[in-house]
Amino acid sequence: MSKTIEVENLVKVYRNGVRAVDGLSFSVDKGEIFGFLGPNGAGKSTTIKILIGLVNPTEGRLLVNGIDITKHTTEIKRATGYASQETAIDDRLTAWENITLQGHYYHLNGREIRTRSEEILRMFDLYERRNDLAETFSGGMLKRLDIAEALIHRPQILFLDEPTLGLDVQTRQVIWTYIERLREEHGMTIFVTTHYMEEADTLCDRVTIIDRGTIKAIDRPEALKAQLGGDVITVSFSANSEPTSVLERIRQIEQVLSIEKNGNGAHRIMVSEEGEKIVPQLFALCEKEGITIDAVSLKKASLDDVYLHYTGHAMRNAEESKETHFKARMMRGKARRK
Amino acid sequence: MTLLTDTWFIAKRELIKFLRTKVRVVVTLVQPILWLGLMGNMMGKVFDNPYVAQAMGVSNYMAFMTPGIIIMTVLFGGVFGGISIVWDRRVGYLEKLLAAPIHRGAIPFGKTLAVMIQNGIQVLAIVGIAAAFGVHFETGFAGILGLMIVAMFFGAILSSISLSLAASIKTMETLMAIVNFLTMPLMFTSTALFPSEAMPNWLAAIARINPVTYAVGPIRELVLHGWDWSKILPGLAVIVGLAILFMLISQLIFQRATTD
Repeated sequence: MSKTIEVENLVKVYRNGVRAVDGLSFSVDKGEIFGFLGPNGAGKSTTIKILIGLVNPTEGRLLVNGIDITKHTTEIKRATGYASQETAIDDRLTAWENITLQGHYYHLNGREIRTRSEEILRMFDLYERRNDLAETFSGGMLKRLDIAEALIHRPQILFLDEPTLGLDVQTRQVIWTYIERLREEHGMTIFVTTHYMEEADTLCDRVTIIDRGTIKAIDRPEALKAQLGGDVITVSFSANSEPTSVLERIRQIEQVLSIEKNGNGAHRIMVSEEGEKIVPQLFALCEKEGITIDAVSLKKASLDDVYLHYTGHAMRNAEESKETHFKARMMRGKARRK
Repeated sequence: MTLLTDTWFIAKRELIKFLRTKVRVVVTLVQPILWLGLMGNMMGKVFDNPYVAQAMGVSNYMAFMTPGIIIMTVLFGGVFGGISIVWDRRVGYLEKLLAAPIHRGAIPFGKTLAVMIQNGIQVLAIVGIAAAFGVHFETGFAGILGLMIVAMFFGAILSSISLSLAASIKTMETLMAIVNFLTMPLMFTSTALFPSEAMPNWLAAIARINPVTYAVGPIRELVLHGWDWSKILPGLAVIVGLAILFMLISQLIFQRATTD
């Protein structure tokens, strides 16, 4: 598969001496939804800003579509779309004014801007509200408009910095539906950061966990979860049955990694993946051996576990920018007014 | 070429918002009415005394004051250039602009162009109000166009200064305070509201080198007297020259501040 983004040994040291990114290397395939996970201040936003030509890297080799970013900033800007976590909508303008101005910033001609704006606003269910001031929009509508704007110049790669931050569950799902459609219908490569692990798990083809400017893990979500021991099935056999022979048979199931007895006398069966398919097999085996099961529970491995494993449990008081706080406050105010 | 179109679209956004903000438009109209109606009438009484009028070289204070009001309005409007950048940085809009393939210079230039056009609209409003108060414009329509040009270039200086300050000042309150701190003394050490004949010698000396005086000079000449190029050109040259200089400075500072 062709590589859309190739990053080798990327380093960024800001003027104030902060080493935001410290030797990142990764690549993103064309048409991939690539998740970038990490605590606040891990270097996610800086990496995105470098990849779209907003911030100059201190060191490293960076190719987007095979083009060296540092030498061809304008081409990179035309090939990439960017929606920042701040939701940069001018709320004193209408949705239509916001998106058409964005078209002009990308030097599209008037007709292109009109047809594309209509098409994109319809896709994001904002066309009916196009002549309303953005200040009357809810947080979710603003975010949709922001992502819509990033598409006006038909970028091949879309960078979304926390597109679902602070939105309700319904809106988050809607936004992910749009993201998946963009990939399906336009073959767009999507590079996304999020703090919602279950989102990354279900929607990203691959995720990268970064912390303190370095990559801690990079793989498919299932593979990452499997590395940490995967799913856990807890089984309590009824007191009068002797499960030894059954346990022997269970151990022979390919996905079963280990079995241990916990303090309550129940057995914890570690499974590499798809624990829900192992449970029926357990029942079948027990039935054959005449053994009764009192209770069974399945705990699917979550990306949360993977994330905490790699980044630790300590909370970060990392430098969240003043702008983010300010914007968050404004969005909250808006939500209240709605 | 893209610099010009990019500049226009940056300015267009500000202008849409300016015209939409009715309060700002109303204030634009009310302020000159207050100045001319209150201060103009009151001071007019003083200058009605023929001895005072002759000593000061001012026969019609209302007409004398109109160029001062024009320049004062422009002087206090320049801060909006810098404020819009501070705001754009806060809400992330500046980053969005920088992520687009627009000419970087277009951002400060566009903000200044917007301020200049706002100034033009404000000047027209003041001219209309002054005319309603009975001020006669000696050079007619062409003269009004001329004084608009002087006022707009003067506005470009102020906008560029506020934009340059906004590169390092990140809050609107501080920017407002600093710009006011600069503009108030500029205003009162110039000949905008009082003729230099009415000033003590030290103040008159400051007024002679004050750029505000250079901006008021040609405008006053056009309102009160006529097309005397020897009195219009020096002021015009200084103002246009300073405008170009400060626009280039604001551009350089902006480039530096947004490169990381």
